Amino acid sequence: MTSSPPAGAGRHRGLLARLRRPTGAPRRRSRARRRLNAGIRLVAALVLAGGAYAAFAPGISSAEDTPQLSTAAKEGKALFDKSCISCHGPNAQGVTDRGPSLLGVGSAAVEFQVATGRMPMARQEAQAERKPPVFNDDQTRQLAAYIQELGGGPQLPGDVPAMLAGANTSKGGELYRINCASCHGFGGGGGALSSGKFAPSLMPASPAQIYGAMLTGPQNMPVFGDNQLSPQEKADVISYVVTLQQQKDPGGFNLGRFGPVTEGLAIFLVGMVALIFTALWIAGKS
Amino acid sequence: MRKRKFDRAAVPGKLAGEVDDRFKVATPLRGVLNKVFPDHWSFLLGEIALFSFIIVVLTGVFLTFFFDPSMREVTYNGAYAPLRGMTMSRAYESALQLSFEVRGGLLMRQMHHWAALTFVAAIVVHMFRVFFTGAFRKPREANWIIGSLLFWLGFLAGFTGYSLPDDGLSGTGLRIASAIMLSIPLIGSWVTSSVFGGEFPGEIIMGRFYIAHVLLIPGILIALISIHVGLVFIQKHTQWPGPGRTNDNVVGERMFPRYAIKQGGYFMAVFAVIAFMGGLFQINPLWLFGPYEPAAVSSASQPDWYVMFLDGSTRLMPGWELPIPTPWGHYVVPPIFWPTVVLPGILTVLPALYPFIEQRLTKDRRIHNLLQRPRDVPARTALGAMAISFWLVLTLSGGNDVIADKFRISLNAMTWAGRIGLLLLPPLAYYITYRICLGLQQHDREVLAHGVETGIIRRLPDGRFVEVHQPLAAPGHDGHADLEYSGWVVPKKMNRLGALGPAIRGFFFPIERPSEAPVSPAPQVTGTEGTQRREVESGRR
Amino acid sequence: MSTQTERENVTETGIHGPTSSRFDVLREGAALDDIEIVHYEPQFAVPGGKTERRVVRTIAGFFLLTGLAATVFLVAYIWWPWEFGRQDGAQWFTPILGASLGLALAGLAFGILTWGKKLLPREVSIQQRHTGGSSEQERRITGQTIAYLGEEMGIGRRPLLKFALPLGLAPVGLVAAAPLIGGLIEDPHKNQIPGTETPELYTTGWNPAYNGGKPVRLTRQDGTPIRPEDVSVGGQMTVFPGIPHGSSNEHADSPTLLIHLRTSDADQARAANHRAGREDWMYGDYIAYSKICTHAGCPASLYEQQTNRLLCPCHQSQFLITDNAAPIFGPASRPLPQLEITVDDEGFFVAKRDYTDVIGPDFWERP
Repeated sequence: MTSSPPAGAGRHRGLLARLRRPTGAPRRRSRARRRLNAGIRLVAALVLAGGAYAAFAPGISSAEDTPQLSTAAKEGKALFDKSCISCHGPNAQGVTDRGPSLLGVGSAAVEFQVATGRMPMARQEAQAERKPPVFNDDQTRQLAAYIQELGGGPQLPGDVPAMLAGANTSKGGELYRINCASCHGFGGGGGALSSGKFAPSLMPASPAQIYGAMLTGPQNMPVFGDNQLSPQEKADVISYVVTLQQQKDPGGFNLGRFGPVTEGLAIFLVGMVALIFTALWIAGKS
Repeated sequence: MRKRKFDRAAVPGKLAGEVDDRFKVATPLRGVLNKVFPDHWSFLLGEIALFSFIIVVLTGVFLTFFFDPSMREVTYNGAYAPLRGMTMSRAYESALQLSFEVRGGLLMRQMHHWAALTFVAAIVVHMFRVFFTGAFRKPREANWIIGSLLFWLGFLAGFTGYSLPDDGLSGTGLRIASAIMLSIPLIGSWVTSSVFGGEFPGEIIMGRFYIAHVLLIPGILIALISIHVGLVFIQKHTQWPGPGRTNDNVVGERMFPRYAIKQGGYFMAVFAVIAFMGGLFQINPLWLFGPYEPAAVSSASQPDWYVMFLDGSTRLMPGWELPIPTPWGHYVVPPIFWPTVVLPGILTVLPALYPFIEQRLTKDRRIHNLLQRPRDVPARTALGAMAISFWLVLTLSGGNDVIADKFRISLNAMTWAGRIGLLLLPPLAYYITYRICLGLQQHDREVLAHGVETGIIRRLPDGRFVEVHQPLAAPGHDGHADLEYSGWVVPKKMNRLGALGPAIRGFFFPIERPSEAPVSPAPQVTGTEGTQRREVESGRR
Repeated sequence: MSTQTERENVTETGIHGPTSSRFDVLREGAALDDIEIVHYEPQFAVPGGKTERRVVRTIAGFFLLTGLAATVFLVAYIWWPWEFGRQDGAQWFTPILGASLGLALAGLAFGILTWGKKLLPREVSIQQRHTGGSSEQERRITGQTIAYLGEEMGIGRRPLLKFALPLGLAPVGLVAAAPLIGGLIEDPHKNQIPGTETPELYTTGWNPAYNGGKPVRLTRQDGTPIRPEDVSVGGQMTVFPGIPHGSSNEHADSPTLLIHLRTSDADQARAANHRAGREDWMYGDYIAYSKICTHAGCPASLYEQQTNRLLCPCHQSQFLITDNAAPIFGPASRPLPQLEITVDDEGFFVAKRDYTDVIGPDFWERP
């Protein structure tokens, strides 16, 4: 259970930092900045909260006899007991009608849900949405360590971006089209599911997040375990998604890659409007 | 012998003489050069369709030099890296090649697609114009029918073209087309296997669609467009009512030079808009869709916009299967049959016959060369609004998953909204349009009887406030002007009467300052006029 | 007759008249086509004045813009990097071409249009339409001509021809139709594998006949077989018949969705199967349904692992996996067919037999 030694912390930090590093696109940079701001505010809040916690908590935590947790997991437990416990219950055992048990979901699920800001949820709705994350990388890792040590489950490989180096993008594309495109769309822009649920856009997703999503099947997404899509195949798929994210559209503005819906809108709002205005000008009395 | 001097100025005349000796064209040519065309912006909508068709043909010919409609399986090894090594049909491979390995090929493909969308869009808008102004009435019923056939041919041309690249999206469309054919009672399975040469998808369908797309449908289109334009030429264009315009004349400009120059310029404008769109807006990025695989599909799988209403009707249709028990066995009519075979069937026949239906209902069998303002025929206008709202609900439902996703609405709620909207909105649109038409009519009559609102409020000695009206004519015996409504715009603003100087010129912004010294238009206005004007001006400052 | 003399008159007096300008000739000629030029005035009060020169300059500017943009097009076409995937701005190739071409054409358009609108004299012409048909006399003459045509042919007097002609022509028409129909028509009920009971419409790649009579394995797209542990709980996998070309378009009706349900969901699904008389169609918590939608044949593959719904992206039919894949929303009327699966001696998934329901969209004679 205590498989993640403190020594791994540095490595994880390096990984997450790399994931966050803006890769050149200005859009990403601004998001990163926003995240950073949110992170700073949160850290400040957490320092305050942590102080309060330090003042009141020892009595509570000593009352419970948790199995020996690593340092990171202990930090994670502290965070869990503050932010997650109301829905997922003490020791992550779940609360009926509020939150599922997290035993066995693994650190991959925690890292995905928390790093994409889906957890903690703002309110109960059809589906948790991507938001600026509430916890910073270290805290996410601590939460993940806690859940991992509580119930085990799938874990992310150490360095997902490094796996992309030897990935076969076109093989990944084939896997993507047959497994992923049905919900996330050929262009990766996401799509609607039944009754208000939806498959999110893959455009803001980082390789590790995509990996985590495939591995754990968050919410209504099916699970693609390592036996079904081997880590190498997952890397192929991620490599294809990264291609989708970075590809410069060769044909001009891509109209959101929504397909014929926006194309139809464009032909009326741009094409026909321009032509009708020209017609008005031609026939207008000079 | 004296050397004959070469007279250059005499050459054109001499040449023309030689031509006329042989073809005797002087008289007909004079008629064509001088033929009068009426001028109104709405008469140019059909031209958009004509010009974009020419562009579709030109770009389409370019594409045929590179496209290979073969379903032979090949392994892609072209310029687009994320597909290298994939097994795909030769058709898809050549579509990728002409996008990425033919210099300028992508621009041509995109222009072809945008021009096709423009073609159908212009047809639809043009048909609205013809419908709402009553231009389809006798003697032009035949041209209306040809026009509606042109829409459906454009529809077919578009659908076959959409299917040709054999990418993931077009294969899905083809699959649905096969399901539609399959749903026809009695002969469905036979039709499908005959069209596809066996079980879907087979290997022959691309070849068949290709020849339909590049030869059969364009051939019929060109023939019908020629007849369509020829009939407009022979029957002469309709015109709006107005001063000097009667049912028996055409008031406008001669074909040469002004009309022809406008047409030529407009052709270039249409060409320009399509070139802009072809270069600046990416359309149908088929490299993202991958080759067609029967197990792969994308969310938000849609047809092009003009097919979307059928997709919408299919989405809204409840899953009602019609069982038909017979002594020979149990048969079914699947739910997809109604929205995709019966509905288009109705939509082909009913609008095409509308001129005759209206003739029968109104018992009006006269010849009409003057257009009607939509407000003057409330029933027809309301009917048109009803049809548009029906079509709009269907088209929006065709994209309801994208709307649901992007606007965070429940997909199921969108479907239900479409179902209910399809039943409620058209009658509502009918009622509202009808009332609006009556209101506009009433206002026209009011202005004719009482004059134009001046915006000048006058306080009467007894303390009441009244607005001063500018009569359009001298009052008759009952104190009102006896002006007859002539089916054309009634001036409703003072500057329409020239009261505030000439109307402000300029298209988007005024070229010149409005005139400062207004001229009183009508002599019967009392002497208080001057004071009132000053009041208005002071109010403006 | 009267027009004839009128024309001659014009020729005499109008065209050869001593005072006639070209415009007079034009006006007289137009009158011959019942066209009256009622209003004709130059755009500019002072010819060659300031306003006119400005308009001419504008038009010239438009044409020069056209030349410039067309040159940009040519330069970009020849020298701009265009091969896809190059990092040095190749993605701008098509936009530059489109923008320069559009600008060139727009310049041409507005040059021509301004010329027509601002330079040419304003005119109003009226042409008579001569609505309605031909004159009564003309109609009568043509009618009589046609009627006499019939008399000349003498069909009325020669009744034998009246029968012989259609009788002879009808088969000729059929001759034209026969190759078209006969060549195109394909029997949808013919057997896919000659000699076996594999009618095309009802047979998929899961039919053991394709595998020499042995049950067909469930395989991935690349043909590798699948063990139960390959699909995680809450996972789904698209599987294809493990036969040659099993995942190709040849077996477009065969893709199947293999789903590993959670235990509680699996119990529900098993109970539903039980109600439908499908004992042992599942293998453990694994269940397999056709991926081809029963509505329009799209792959219904948007599997929601929490609600166990399967959504088809084309027309939003929704199927409930735990209830025999019954349609619960949208236009589909028929449950997805279920594939009876088990595991063979080597531990790989196999289909016990072909689908018993027809795959894909409904049709008239579907049993």
